[in-house]
Amino acid sequence: MRDALLIARKDLLAEYRKKESIVSMVFFGFLLLVMLNIAVGVGRELDGEMAAGILWVSIIFSAVLGLGRVLSKEKENRCIDALLLSPVEPEQIYAAKTMVNFIFMAVAEAVLIPAFFVLYGDRFARQVPMLVVVVLLVNIGFSTVGTLFSAITAGTRRNEVLLPLLLFPVITPLMALAVKVTGGLFEDLPYREYSSWLYVIAAFGLIFSGVGYLLFEFVIKEG
Amino acid sequence: MGSSAAFLRIKGLRKSYDGVDALRGIDLDLEMGDFLSLFGPNGAGKTTLIRIMATLLKPGAGTVRVMDFDMEEHPEEFRARLGVISHQSFLYNDLSARENLEFYAALYRVADPAARAEELLGLVGLSDRADSKVSGFSRGMQQRLSIARALINDPVLLLLDEPYTGLDQSASMLLSGHLRRLHDRKRTIVMVTHDLKRGLEAATKVGILSRGRLVYLKDRAELDPREFEHAYLRYLKGLPDA
Repeated sequence: MRDALLIARKDLLAEYRKKESIVSMVFFGFLLLVMLNIAVGVGRELDGEMAAGILWVSIIFSAVLGLGRVLSKEKENRCIDALLLSPVEPEQIYAAKTMVNFIFMAVAEAVLIPAFFVLYGDRFARQVPMLVVVVLLVNIGFSTVGTLFSAITAGTRRNEVLLPLLLFPVITPLMALAVKVTGGLFEDLPYREYSSWLYVIAAFGLIFSGVGYLLFEFVIKEG
Repeated sequence: MGSSAAFLRIKGLRKSYDGVDALRGIDLDLEMGDFLSLFGPNGAGKTTLIRIMATLLKPGAGTVRVMDFDMEEHPEEFRARLGVISHQSFLYNDLSARENLEFYAALYRVADPAARAEELLGLVGLSDRADSKVSGFSRGMQQRLSIARALINDPVLLLLDEPYTGLDQSASMLLSGHLRRLHDRKRTIVMVTHDLKRGLEAATKVGILSRGRLVYLKDRAELDPREFEHAYLRYLKGLPDA
């Protein structure tokens, strides 16, 4: 884990300097929230699931922007080769990149979720602590899958096009579950009404962190 | 070739891409402190050989052993003894020279990363630019820092893939000086280059790779530079062995 923390710290330091990924993620996510607000009708009362859908579309689309950058940065000056040449195990690189993607998402959400409440009404802000739990679990699922797929596409010429094309079919179940649970929270439903979906979201993250951990080496290295 | 105490031993190394053979059975033994300059036309398999030796590519067949560590069986131990300099800098543009070196030193578990970074910055003459971002460095400065990065773990085997590419005269002289000093310290060096002059002046062994085969290998001391240049030009033109 020490090596993963070192690599993640390096990535976060570079992002702190340039603020390239986070700023574009937040800006794009906010634009989506505004555009969808106009599309559904400003001031219109939305039911919980529709509002949750809007929130997650904005979060996931903005997160894809950051996802592509985290590994493509390593391709500049072939730094990924230097990481693979070092005694660091490829699994540690995967863990580091997953951590960084998770943190980028969480920072963007810290801006986008309050913005969502402002634009769509604070009546959805009923179970905020549980919403934070859901968001963090979805982030784990998204960043574990997303890091693996961004490693697959990072070496390709059109990675910014290929990444969403490959990623979205895989994360659609996660997104559907996130909307279901978040909709329940927005409707102020009791925990037992959505708890089973929450466990499936957690399982999604757990399974894909295992898959990513096992496959990353084969994906990132040349044949 | 064939001593049982070889420092680096490559046996039957093969690699193909989509059915096209890049390496067609490379056998090579090097003793500790050897400096092999490897020449060859484009597409001869030089970079593939270096990338396999660096564990970045898996061989189709064959083995690479350094000090009796098998590359595939003990990749971490193998990599811990290895340094690579390529025409790519392997440096992070958004970090300073010092931050780059400290990061790599920590990855290689160097006891005191800050002290090691300081020492290497002095060695490559970049102490005064230690806290400048790499993105503002010239190609020559980046290559100097790249040399420092490759030496961070004090490697016993150094692989160089076209290290002179894009360097001006003074940066090239500086690199040659560093390589000479490393060689004096008994480091084993394998350098792939197109630069005949620099490749020959540094080497203790000289080889030519052509169409995936090591077609020429001689001790530098036994070599007539004119005869070698003639042989090399033939291979560059794709002519059969003289």
